[in-house]
Amino acid sequence: MSLQLDVLNRLSNSVIEGNSEAARRAATDALKTNLDPLEAIENGLAKGLREVGGRFERGEMFLMQLIMSGEAMKAGLQVLKPEILKQKKQLTGSGTVLIGTVEGDIHDIGKSIVNAMLTAEGFDVIDLGVDVPDQVFVEKTKEIKPHILGLSALMTTTRTKQKDVIEALKRSELRDVAKVMVGGATITPEWAEEIGADAYGEDAVDAARKAKGLIKG
Amino acid sequence: MKRRLEYVTRSGSGVIIKMNKEQMKADLEAGSKDAAQKGHIPELTADELDCVLDIMVEPTKIVGIERGKEIVLSRDGGVIKYTGCTRYAGVPLSKEQGVIVGERILSLDTMELGHADYSFKPCKPIAFDEAHHMENAQMLSVIPVLYGAMPNLGTYYQSLGGRWPTPTELLKEGKIEESREVQERAAEDLIKDIVYIARIMNQSGADGLNMDTSAAAGDAEFYACLNAIERVKKETNLAVEIGMAGEMILGMHCELEYQGKRLAGLWPHEQGRLIEKAGASIFGPVVNTRTTKSFPWNLGRALAFIKAVSKAVQIPIHVNMGMGVCSIPMTEIPPVDAVTRAAKAMITIADVDGI
Repeated sequence: MSLQLDVLNRLSNSVIEGNSEAARRAATDALKTNLDPLEAIENGLAKGLREVGGRFERGEMFLMQLIMSGEAMKAGLQVLKPEILKQKKQLTGSGTVLIGTVEGDIHDIGKSIVNAMLTAEGFDVIDLGVDVPDQVFVEKTKEIKPHILGLSALMTTTRTKQKDVIEALKRSELRDVAKVMVGGATITPEWAEEIGADAYGEDAVDAARKAKGLIKG
Repeated sequence: MKRRLEYVTRSGSGVIIKMNKEQMKADLEAGSKDAAQKGHIPELTADELDCVLDIMVEPTKIVGIERGKEIVLSRDGGVIKYTGCTRYAGVPLSKEQGVIVGERILSLDTMELGHADYSFKPCKPIAFDEAHHMENAQMLSVIPVLYGAMPNLGTYYQSLGGRWPTPTELLKEGKIEESREVQERAAEDLIKDIVYIARIMNQSGADGLNMDTSAAAGDAEFYACLNAIERVKKETNLAVEIGMAGEMILGMHCELEYQGKRLAGLWPHEQGRLIEKAGASIFGPVVNTRTTKSFPWNLGRALAFIKAVSKAVQIPIHVNMGMGVCSIPMTEIPPVDAVTRAAKAMITIADVDGI
């Protein structure tokens, strides 16, 4: 087996096993063997997380493992990204996601699962936490200029805040800064359309898929 | 071209749609297949699919069950659904009045008392006040009256005013082992609180304890529930009913086991086996409704899962059927056309004992 193929396998396996240290070592070795960093990501790290995503969807892997895989992915990317920038190449499919649970709602688990899937897909996720006022979403959107703003609401009584945030973005003339994705147990595609969201994530895997679609445009 | 007859049904999000028989059957079958693949359980048979299809296309808005096949209607949520003002009826009733309304006007087979906050942890400081209401309710009613609350492990974490660091925050910092440890400690606190409430309710004559939306916080919460059931059954005379929060146990911890079985990733029939081993009296399984799929798809899926539960356990099954669960569309007021069809199908095909 060639050295580079061995490194690609190690990158992939480190993500599947959720081993951040192994991912860091493999990424370092990728650079030492002059492996194209984009290939190291696509056919190494990303291949591993595609496998993780599939296993999670099938119920063969669970949230904790998903998060560990996401951390391993991050660890590998930390080593490879500077080389990509140095070579003036561009990492496709990733972007920044600003996410939070809307005001009045304290549910966190679903959002955490979405965060893990987005991280595993290479997104930089900035989590504002729970019970986030509308104005904080607006201010952070203005400051960070994310590619995607994710709004999570579990209950029918709090989902109206998703609409309020979108309206607040319009009033501040920030609506076009980020694509807005909504999700949560009581959220439906019809609700997302009604409030003017750009996408609806039915579950964490769907949210990550839709996020990639929003980035590609 | 001859137009196929279309029937009114719903989407998973509650929107009225029309489908012909072939479309409905295809969706029933696809939903059943999805359940079979996920849960490693049998699909619905061809006869069962035809039977459900007949129920779906009945011309009346509401469908009913044949004489002799009636089942028990058990109640969760206490009287909140009568008195709550945010999305419920907003009728001002005392807890005791709520029980009598349930028994004498709504013809429910069981009723429940619960704290407006409806989680075990906030019940502790007012447990003796709740016991007083339970004593009154027992004297005023004939039907079994249980005391209910949600285990809600999240209330033990700092994000919700509890004493333990929030596991998801620790996970974000990469502190995997610390996250597992706080979940284990919070689970021990939850077990103690459930048993504490159970003992007080037992003294006040309650017929049972209901754990609602169990395992909402994942495998650590389910671990706490199973161990709490064991202790409640040993230390009190209460029946224990346990209703789930979701169809699969989330692996927030991943390494917790009960009687040698890992809890993360368990599907309803697997949950039921452990719940029965723990000593519970009634199991309320849940299957989540997919809003992007049709009601027939969701019903096919729910029926396959619940049928597997019926085969797996001997204790009574009171399937949870409300907003967004067991095929009921995701609407605040579940549409009666969907509810009665799903209920009839659950009784006929999945052999449930109650709803």
